[in-house]
Amino acid sequence: MAEDFEPKIVAFLCKWCSSAGSDLAGVSRMEYPANVVPITVMCSGSVSPLYILSAFNKGADGVLVSGCHPGDCHYIKGNFYARRRIALIKNLLEYIGLEPQRFQMSWVSAAEGTKYTQIIKNFVKELKPLGPQTKLRRNL
Amino acid sequence: MVNLEDLKEEAQKILKEEKVKYIIGYKKSPNSLMPVPAFIKNPEDTEKLIWDPTCIYNLTRFLVDEKRRKEREKNPDERPVGLIVKGCDSRALIVLLQEKFINRDEVYIMGVSCENTGVLDEKKLAIKLKGKKAEKIEFGKKDNFVVTTEEGKIEIPSKEILAERCLECKANFPVIYDVFLGDKVKKNIDNPFKSLEKIESLSGEERWAFWKEQLDKCIRCYACRSVCPMCYCDECVVDTINFAVTADTTAQEKAQKIKWMEKSPDLSENLIYHLVRAIHLAGRCIDCGECERVCPLNIPIRFLNKKLEKEAKELYDYEVGFDSEQPSLVSSFKDEDPEDFIR
Repeated sequence: MAEDFEPKIVAFLCKWCSSAGSDLAGVSRMEYPANVVPITVMCSGSVSPLYILSAFNKGADGVLVSGCHPGDCHYIKGNFYARRRIALIKNLLEYIGLEPQRFQMSWVSAAEGTKYTQIIKNFVKELKPLGPQTKLRRNL
Repeated sequence: MVNLEDLKEEAQKILKEEKVKYIIGYKKSPNSLMPVPAFIKNPEDTEKLIWDPTCIYNLTRFLVDEKRRKEREKNPDERPVGLIVKGCDSRALIVLLQEKFINRDEVYIMGVSCENTGVLDEKKLAIKLKGKKAEKIEFGKKDNFVVTTEEGKIEIPSKEILAERCLECKANFPVIYDVFLGDKVKKNIDNPFKSLEKIESLSGEERWAFWKEQLDKCIRCYACRSVCPMCYCDECVVDTINFAVTADTTAQEKAQKIKWMEKSPDLSENLIYHLVRAIHLAGRCIDCGECERVCPLNIPIRFLNKKLEKEAKELYDYEVGFDSEQPSLVSSFKDEDPEDFIR
């Protein structure tokens, strides 16, 4: 059964870097797992903790937040704010007992299509043995 | 030692001089050992003021209500409000000042020290007294409480009945005040996050089992939110107060209203509520422990907030409630913030 499990990943990609990076992976015809639901946000700093919790609540097995490399932010410092906030959420989720692999953050620039595919590949590989995420999932 | 007479005298003085609108303090409850908040307008009523280890409440919450009331008034009284604060309450004030929610001239702060001990835990005291009824509790001379019961006075070492938060308090005197009564004694705490160790030492699955059991109990009464001096948002994510569904509401309107979580007290929704509350209080919670005290189901909410306080200290060297000029935790950053978790 475990081999058949295909995790659902919600990825919040910033419009200026990561989203362009995933686009590059697409137009370059690189192959990567189709488990991701990409959501373009204006900046990784605009990702509210609620987006992440809500994604888990509505059935995501993993959540990825991706933004520009430090110093490359279109809004100068949005990703620095994101770095702090995401670290806090990550530690909090780990503290209540969610597997740490389920929530990840990455820096992907517009030119790093290969890095993006690599991140997704690894993410899916790590999520498969964990099975479906049931802890935060709404079960009504 | 805080001399109660000095406190009353000071309160009387500022009321007579009409320096303040009214004073928020503690007074004896007619039918219980625990005091009730007192709102004193007449200088004669200052006689009712008390200060002893039973004064556990954080009165800064009333400043939030005061601000709302003032906004509604046509000709508001611009004088400040007198407020009696302990160490922890003063740190809450600092956060409100830091966020510019209140101005420094809106409040006249009367600081009292916790006499090198702190305030007591009602439940711990009840267990300690084994059914005997306490009539009066005072600060002892050295690290103890003097409890007067029907059978006479007993001295109890403060450690045994002190509130959990007081055991980990870094400064048991106000950090900001206009007048200060008592002595500033800094307690030596080797580890302010000691109570967290028990949960942190558990494995991921055990932690999950613990929180699952605790948060499954939540009935979503929102008492923790009501009592928190930092929960002052006009609209909270958990209620949809500005969205009334009527017969005319179209399906599109309903669909467009974001519903972050259901109101039903189910585990998954409770988790979202408590996690969101914890995140919103990151770098703001000053650990007054009120949320845990008012919880009707004894959920250890404090451990969630305390964890983030610890993260803030360890990752970003951020200490809350000591400097009203420092930028808040999530609205600032440093170049050297850790990023080893990022791929």
